[in-house]
Amino acid sequence: MAIELIVTLIMAAGLFGTGVYGALSQTNLVMIMMGIELILAAGLLNLVAFWRYLHPEAIEAQMFVLIVMTVMAVEMAVGFGVAIARFRSRGSVEMEEARELKG
Amino acid sequence: MSTVILLLSLALGTYVVAVLEQWASTNRLRLAGPVISALRLLGQENILPRKSDRLFFEVGPVLLLIAALLSLAIIPLAPGLIATDLATGALFFNAALAYVLVAMIMAGWGPDGAYGMIGGWRFLGQLIAYAMLVVMPITTVAMRAESLSTIDIVASQEMLWNIAYQPLGFALFVFAGMAMAFVPPFDLPVATGELAGGVEAEYTGARRIVFRLGRMVLILSVSSAIVVFYLGGWLGPWLPAWAWSMIKILSVAALMLLGGRMLPRIREATLLAWCWKLGIPLALANIFLVGILVLVVPL
Amino acid sequence: MSVQLVFLLAFGLAAVWFGIVVFRTHSMVRSALALLFSQTAIGAMFLVMQTEFLGVLQIMMMATEMSIMAIFMVMFMMDPGGLGEMDMKHQRKLSLGAGILAFAGATALALLADWGPIATEIPDAGEQVRLLGFELLGRSMLIFESAGLTILTAMIAATAMAVQAANRPEPAAPDRGPDRGKQHGH
Repeated sequence: MAIELIVTLIMAAGLFGTGVYGALSQTNLVMIMMGIELILAAGLLNLVAFWRYLHPEAIEAQMFVLIVMTVMAVEMAVGFGVAIARFRSRGSVEMEEARELKG
Repeated sequence: MSTVILLLSLALGTYVVAVLEQWASTNRLRLAGPVISALRLLGQENILPRKSDRLFFEVGPVLLLIAALLSLAIIPLAPGLIATDLATGALFFNAALAYVLVAMIMAGWGPDGAYGMIGGWRFLGQLIAYAMLVVMPITTVAMRAESLSTIDIVASQEMLWNIAYQPLGFALFVFAGMAMAFVPPFDLPVATGELAGGVEAEYTGARRIVFRLGRMVLILSVSSAIVVFYLGGWLGPWLPAWAWSMIKILSVAALMLLGGRMLPRIREATLLAWCWKLGIPLALANIFLVGILVLVVPL
Repeated sequence: MSVQLVFLLAFGLAAVWFGIVVFRTHSMVRSALALLFSQTAIGAMFLVMQTEFLGVLQIMMMATEMSIMAIFMVMFMMDPGGLGEMDMKHQRKLSLGAGILAFAGATALALLADWGPIATEIPDAGEQVRLLGFELLGRSMLIFESAGLTILTAMIAATAMAVQAANRPEPAAPDRGPDRGKQHGH
């Protein structure tokens, strides 16, 4: 029975839902990034669960996990770069005040 | 049986490090010193700062102690005398000690005091400086041993200790390890002279004992890592394996504590500049050199 | 109920709970550290699933990453301690709906799909590290290298974006000197 796999996937679903909620509801850039981190973490969890319970012979899955971790790090670096630049020029990273992006 | 031996040697090692630390800072060797300090601290009032973040305030010192203890789990004192022989031991050491940073930030932020908070964030700056210099020398050690397991790493130094095989890596690792355990001259997070104790400033009584204990275990853990990765762990003639481990670990701790006192303190910005502009290129060169050495003279 | 299942449930619930705490607390440092503990619980789940290398890596990486997040929160937020109980949410209904929908959809998929046979035999930790090493420097080398290159690019881009514009001297006032024409030449 695949009960362990299903439990893990449901936990990942919970993290994913929380992340989506956070990324949409927060007004601050850094908090939005936290939501995205949660979404990516849910993806990581799914990947590892699929490797462990479905295809343990395919070590490439772990490789994929490493790449997702890289994406998390890159997202943080670029996100904070944007945050610093915006804070310098506008004095805040509140997204409600970023109306000019609406065009 | 081996659990009892490990716990006993942990207690003994921590005590000796505490004696050494007191010797280094007061210049007087008192064997009963740590006991007296502990009793004095126990008699102190347990002050809870106003408007503190209670959770962080309580958890910080405990997390420091736990992180340091966990990092000791992969240190072998003799063949078979190890808490857990993980296949990723060398990486696990880093993972456990990364939580020292978390503990420092918690303990600094928790009490809602300026000194503590500055100390905690200073340690973050220090970590960004030394982190790469911990990981990259460990990479070369693992390259030679062809394994991340600490037992294999010690076994790989049978012919020649890593301190002679890759002296550059040793120098960088000791430097980074001292910054990781924030012993002087890298003790700015708890700078006694300038920040009134930094992260420690708001802690009194039993909480301070836990914090100090965590720090002693951390120093012990870093010196054990130096011994395991570079000084051949339990290897040595005549004496039994565990004796060699103990002697080496404690003498490294003594040298770190006593030698560090002689050096001037380094400001965070200077440390960052040195580590990133000089340290990381050196560490990369070290990886390159050891890569060639492993291929050409596989001792 | 296997031991593995119990641990998976415990760490999974901890991860989700800390994930929710991230958006419920008012204190920014608490929020960042809650995210850290959520990620650590995920790392622990990797360890439970016998993926030792990735578990330890996740636990190690996230400690530094989230601490850096914490200091950025303190720098950029008006009320990092959360004593002012500021409200920092918008489009509540939409985001709550989207979150619940995402959770329900993913859960339904997990429950309804036919996962087929479950693998029981997996390589042990040391073997996994060895295999992963050969994978990284063998067939997947190009991917791995491009990941490294991506990080380098991101580092440079982020730094370039974040550094303060160089302090150039003010453009000199048009002087009456003989070389006046040259200055306006371009």
